[in-house]
Amino acid sequence: MTLFTTDDCVLCAQLKKQFDLSAMEVQVEVLGNNDAGALAHLAWHGLVEKARKALPILVLDDSSALDEFGHIESHLLDRAARYGCGVASRHAGKQAGCESGSCALQ
Amino acid sequence: MGVVMPLNAETAQARTQRVVNEDSTDIALFVRSSQDDMTGWNRQRIVDALLRETFIDRGTAEKISRDIEVTIQAGKVKTITGPLIREMVNAKLLEMGLEEARRMHTRLGVPLYDVDQLLVQHNKENANVPHGPEATNLTLAEGIKKEYALLHVFTPDVADAHLSGDLHLHDLGFIDRPYCSGQSLEYIKKFGLNLPHALSMAKPAKHAEVLLAHMVKFAASLQSHFAGAIGWDAINLFYAPYLEELSDDGVKQLAQMMIYEFSQQAVARGGQAIFSDVNIYWEVPKHFVDVPAIGPGGVYTGKTYGEYEKQAQRFAWALFEVYKEGDAAGRPFFFPKPLVHITEKFFKTDGHMDFLHHICEVASVKGNTYFVFDRGDTAKISECCRLSFKLEASDIEDAKKPWKMRYSALQNVTINLPRLAFKAQGDDTKLFALLTEKLQLAAKAHGQKKKFIERLMSLGKGGPLSLLAMDLDGEPYLKLHKCSFLIGMVGLNELIRVHMGQELHDSDASIKFGLKVIAHMNIVCNKLAESMGMKFVLEQTPAESTAFRFAKLDLAHFTTDAEKVVQGNREKGEVYYSNSTLFNVGANMSPIARVEKEGLFHPLIEAGSITHIWLGEAQPDKEALASFVINVFKYTQNDQIAFSPEFTACLACGKTSRGLSETCPYCESKDVDGITRITGYFTKISSWNKGKLGELHDRYRNVDRFNQ
Repeated sequence: MTLFTTDDCVLCAQLKKQFDLSAMEVQVEVLGNNDAGALAHLAWHGLVEKARKALPILVLDDSSALDEFGHIESHLLDRAARYGCGVASRHAGKQAGCESGSCALQ
Repeated sequence: MGVVMPLNAETAQARTQRVVNEDSTDIALFVRSSQDDMTGWNRQRIVDALLRETFIDRGTAEKISRDIEVTIQAGKVKTITGPLIREMVNAKLLEMGLEEARRMHTRLGVPLYDVDQLLVQHNKENANVPHGPEATNLTLAEGIKKEYALLHVFTPDVADAHLSGDLHLHDLGFIDRPYCSGQSLEYIKKFGLNLPHALSMAKPAKHAEVLLAHMVKFAASLQSHFAGAIGWDAINLFYAPYLEELSDDGVKQLAQMMIYEFSQQAVARGGQAIFSDVNIYWEVPKHFVDVPAIGPGGVYTGKTYGEYEKQAQRFAWALFEVYKEGDAAGRPFFFPKPLVHITEKFFKTDGHMDFLHHICEVASVKGNTYFVFDRGDTAKISECCRLSFKLEASDIEDAKKPWKMRYSALQNVTINLPRLAFKAQGDDTKLFALLTEKLQLAAKAHGQKKKFIERLMSLGKGGPLSLLAMDLDGEPYLKLHKCSFLIGMVGLNELIRVHMGQELHDSDASIKFGLKVIAHMNIVCNKLAESMGMKFVLEQTPAESTAFRFAKLDLAHFTTDAEKVVQGNREKGEVYYSNSTLFNVGANMSPIARVEKEGLFHPLIEAGSITHIWLGEAQPDKEALASFVINVFKYTQNDQIAFSPEFTACLACGKTSRGLSETCPYCESKDVDGITRITGYFTKISSWNKGKLGELHDRYRNVDRFNQ
């Protein structure tokens, strides 16, 4: 399972804070100006155009992809439970949303 | 250009001139100059030229001129050419270690032998150029401009990289033009045909036929200012306001006129046919729905383009009826290329399945249709062999005034990928470092071309690019600040083969590494764009001659490595590298697998990609192709596809048959020519270069695939 993110994406940052992704065996790919491997991995899954519209994207083990934040969070909550991993609570009152507008592949 | 004259071949005029001058010249020597006249020897001319053209000092110039005089006197020649004197001076400069002065003093020209060859033999660098006096004029001029570009526009490191085959600077013979242009018919609908230096000015057209005449003339004018394609956006929609009064037969007649006018321009022009593309929509694109329509006389009709859907559809349908019929001999039309945009809205528009079947039938019968996939909110203008300009927010804003919509790529530079793999010797780090280095050099080349075009554009309406400087809508026709700078690639498949020992179609690991190479190119382009303030974008290079040139050069300079991976027939010299990111053309893959896997690369190549499906003599059902097209749109990332059948045109009986044959099946004549798609357009096989002939031989034909 792979979570595609960028460094300046608030939604991506929120998921990284909320979940112990490595313990849940979720590979994190940071798409940026330096990692051709991450971009190639994204392209392999046919998700470049999707990522240009919104990130994060979660690619499941069957290669299907989730691109809605709510679905990703919910899927990770289930996985955290299965792996017996703790989940940090979201900042009270903080709504999931991309205020910066940068939650996408630039 | 100087004329070479045998030293003993004096004309009567020259003899007279000699007698007049003999007493007054230091030596009995006449110089046939560049100005088509005979002049007596004057050493001072050498001094003047050196001082005018180089930075050397007067003393050195005087010394050189005296030395040359002595040499010529010692030779006891009676007549000598200007170019020879110049070369003697250049040799002297070289001898004195004045290399920069020699470079500045260089004379551009063509050897006699080459001119003789060019006049007689067909230049096959571009299969779109016929052989004839006008074409050889153009080829000779291109030769000079190419030399000029390499000496004077580009720095030696860039020029050397081109000459050695590390990269390819496309269209050097057109150094004083941008690469290609995409625009809207609205410009001439609104402003008429009002071109700089024209002998007359035409007001906006009042009738469809006149609009067509304006369009063709404007396209021809543009073609003489751009090296490559001239594309037209949403052509059927922008014609629509002129069609209301026309019957269906009238619309068909107009469609026929348009296609014939563009397809026959090669004969009329003598040079390259207008490489014309027409973008066609079945629906009214979202960004044009509420735009006020311009009608006859350049006047707003009071309706929006959204209200012209039916008229636009009538024209689109008629165009494809004409394509389906082909020309008088049943051959496919080579131009204009019809690019149909398949969008989300296409599938929501009434009649789309009938139209899809219609264009798929044309794709099967004649191969003309290009299927351009605009998924999600993407909108673009497509042209050339695969180039596309994605519309950004500011372009969508321009769509409210569609005459403002014009896009250009200034130049195309292609990188020889297999050579990087030869040099990297299996080391990933070295491979990516070399790739970065070449991308930087490509960007540098773009910066130099930009500077040169800016200089020409700065001369404004009195300069050589007056057409591009015209500002009927308040902005120059060529919007330099919005130009793209294309960076292409050739031979990803062979790079992978050298680096990993497999070809792209052999394994997922090969594809993944290939994606990493292209992702790296994409990322470096973005960084260079940011640092240089220029829009660098990747494009799949059509590489009609570049794939051949790189393979030939690598066989010469990296023989051991290249012999293992170059495609084609080495004995016949029909060698090539796979175009851009395309898989081996001969790989036995199902068409959908090819479209899907090649399509994985397309989102990383933002200025355009295509997958070819070679049909050979097969003629699949329109329903099978329509279903295929829908699946490609829904389930792949592929940017554009085209189906390419093959034909044999008999030059004896004039009939056209399916497939490539050595004899005509109707009259058994051997006087035949093949027709199929060379790279992104149809043309006659007799005009193909050797590399493309090698590729043609290797192509995997999907003869039975669509019947399964």
